[in-house]
Amino acid sequence: MAQDLVIYTVVHQPRRLKLPAQPVPEGASPGDIERCLFDEQLNEEYLRKVATYCYYPATEMFLELADRGIKLSVGFSVSVLRQAGEWDRKLSGLFQKLVAHPNVELVNVEPYHSFLPLIDLRMFARRMSWARNYLEKALGKRPEVTDTTEMLMSDGIYHALDGLGFTGAFLDGRPWVMEWREPTHLYHKGKDMMLLARHYQLSDDVGYRFSNKGWWGYPLLADTYAHWLKEASGDFVVLAWDYETFGEHHSRDTGIFDFTRRLPEELAKRRIGTLTPSEAIAKYRGRSYHLPLPTFPCTWAGEGGMEFFLGNAAQQAVFQLMLQAYNKALLTKNQRLIDLALWLIQSDNLHLIQWFGRSGSEAEVSAYFTPKEWWGLGPSGIVWEMQQVYKNFIRALDAHL
Amino acid sequence: MRQTNITPSNTEFVILCFEGPDRYSLAGGLGVRIDNLSATLATMGFNTHLFFVGDPSFPGEELRFRGKLSLHRWCQWIGRYYPNGVYEGENEKLYDFNESLPWFIKEHIVKPAVAKGKLVVILGEEWHTAEAMCRLSDVLHNDGLRDNVVMFWNANNTFSFHRINWGRLNYATTITTVSRYMKHVMWRMGLNPLVIPNGIPKSSLGKVDDRETEAVRRALGADLVLCKVARWDPDKRWNTAVEAIAKLKEKGIKTVLLARGGMEPHGEEVLSNARSLGLTVGKAMTKPGSPDDYLAALQEAATCDIIDIKFHMPLDFLRVVYRAADGVLANSRHEPFGIVGLEAMAAGGIAFTGCTGEDYAIPFVNAFVLETANPMEIVGYMMYLRDYPKEGTRIREAARRTARYFSWEAAAQNLISKLENQARMQEALGGKPTPPEPQFALSKLPPELVATTLKNHY
Repeated sequence: MAQDLVIYTVVHQPRRLKLPAQPVPEGASPGDIERCLFDEQLNEEYLRKVATYCYYPATEMFLELADRGIKLSVGFSVSVLRQAGEWDRKLSGLFQKLVAHPNVELVNVEPYHSFLPLIDLRMFARRMSWARNYLEKALGKRPEVTDTTEMLMSDGIYHALDGLGFTGAFLDGRPWVMEWREPTHLYHKGKDMMLLARHYQLSDDVGYRFSNKGWWGYPLLADTYAHWLKEASGDFVVLAWDYETFGEHHSRDTGIFDFTRRLPEELAKRRIGTLTPSEAIAKYRGRSYHLPLPTFPCTWAGEGGMEFFLGNAAQQAVFQLMLQAYNKALLTKNQRLIDLALWLIQSDNLHLIQWFGRSGSEAEVSAYFTPKEWWGLGPSGIVWEMQQVYKNFIRALDAHL
Repeated sequence: MRQTNITPSNTEFVILCFEGPDRYSLAGGLGVRIDNLSATLATMGFNTHLFFVGDPSFPGEELRFRGKLSLHRWCQWIGRYYPNGVYEGENEKLYDFNESLPWFIKEHIVKPAVAKGKLVVILGEEWHTAEAMCRLSDVLHNDGLRDNVVMFWNANNTFSFHRINWGRLNYATTITTVSRYMKHVMWRMGLNPLVIPNGIPKSSLGKVDDRETEAVRRALGADLVLCKVARWDPDKRWNTAVEAIAKLKEKGIKTVLLARGGMEPHGEEVLSNARSLGLTVGKAMTKPGSPDDYLAALQEAATCDIIDIKFHMPLDFLRVVYRAADGVLANSRHEPFGIVGLEAMAAGGIAFTGCTGEDYAIPFVNAFVLETANPMEIVGYMMYLRDYPKEGTRIREAARRTARYFSWEAAAQNLISKLENQARMQEALGGKPTPPEPQFALSKLPPELVATTLKNHY
């Protein structure tokens, strides 16, 4: 019977590409290349929309929960912090207020939500270290525990992070990774850094299924859910969600806010305590277990493997373009161009075309995240234009080599 | 009270075009057209906004005509990477144009104008503006502003017609074109454009000084002088012109062709053809300067049958050449309007036009209208003019008179009348319209046009 609960949410907004692709003038400066690549107007619109439906009400709710003694952890991509800083200072302030709460722990994440952990581990480590400093400066706390991008974890990623001195990292507790083990214990891979395994079933009950009227568990009530949490065997349960679960993926009228607000009471009834990730590591470090990590990265997206991002030909093609964009940008030794390449390897750009040639619930989720403004191009048009963005960038680098 | 007519106090004009008045933005006749049209509207008192791909080194905004004409230089940040004119980096500029203009016009021009109870007329020129016009119509519609705006999109030629979404454009705008010939071309595409002819500036209508024309003749020292100003394009029938020179030479008549082409590779084919016909080709080159410099350059090459003019000829000098020539070969096989023919006529030249879009040309009355690509047709008319020099004088006079009816003022009035009709259909104007000044009253028409008009009607 699990005694404790670790709650983690991550806030992220992608830096969406400009589609149809804007041709980049020959010889363009990094600044002018940048304005051709990203649709900042669209990004602003989405940030404002999500802020209205999710970030404001959800943050108020989490502050309220923290005031009631619930321990939480939250991660922020630099991508979303940059957007909030640019277009909604009030929201930035609210995020700062949440992180400042004594019951809230700040978690490090890959700054641009990029695929660096797949592409260049050394640069990944540098960027994670940079993100840690950035978050400390922006939000006032230094993260000790880290997430990555889409909770990617592998043997290589583990070692890259361990070298940075993090006390712990998250991974998704999928059966193909955990094998016979329960996700409800603390793990390690032979080094100091501990591993917190997300309970993907209990997490997804809220993250994916909460508003699914076809789900046998619908409607999910707080007492039922607390009961399920209590029933989980092991030491503690890690629940991890997109922050946007609250008010965006599940709109207010689904009852998601009422459900979450009711949870502390139901947890208390069942004597389930909440811990921050660092507290859980401190408490259970003495009986942590060895977990062999896969060479192939696992993720919390889709079925837990990279097929969610690389499962169709369109994704594979864009991924190849990402590799070329990133590696060619490195050749320029121009920090601004390298920075643009890091934006271009943002994982969302593959997430958003997961639906290509597919159907089913995962494709529906992917299609939901694809900006509605793009659909006028048609499915093939979206993929084509997305590729053009990369090709335009790769060509534009010539002038800087 | 509802407005009945389009007037400077109740209407603002917005013109969208890739080309414009900057040297950077002038690639051909389109830039000249837009320069003149916008200037004419501003002179008539209309607040006029011209959006074009402007010189990147010039200010983004500029006021002219006492503030009546606002130049908005667009795509300048892209133009900095493409110093060689408006069409260099065309796709890059086009994207930016489509992306940023509609929103800007809606916010900064239409909204404030409509708030003051004004009508806004938006004119788009050429295929480059088709998408922007559609998007603009959409954003205006979204904001409930579309009914206060009359949108005309104009085809000056058939370039890149395949890139236009005609269904969308035809829905979003009223399509216009510059001649009845173009109307028929577009009819075949399921469209029915309104015809609003091109115009020429009043400055083109003045009399050319005879002493200057004589100086040109003296410099060339030929029996016959022909002139052709056109892109090196098969549609312009350069080879027909060259072959006509060869035929005249065969007859023992010392003829010279002043050829001003563009940068197109077809030019080499034409000149090679000329050489193969036994014609000599020389180049006339000079820097921009005075008429004397131009004359000297022509004189230097005057021993040749064809003088390939490699310098920019300012309009004033061009008019002298048109007037000095025995014939101006505007003999295209496909000409949406044929501004060169009209300009030649305005200068008192004898235009040899094709028979497509040149609505202004009346055969044997004010011009020669060529029906074929046979050089003998040109030769025949040249011989006729040699035999009957008075005919040439009569045609030159008739040509000048006709050209007056194609001034930009007349073209603008024609445009406004058609805009008013559209505005009434949109119910943006109402009540009983006041007729415009009767510019085309029968009593004011030149005798040859009266004759034609009467013949057509009775």
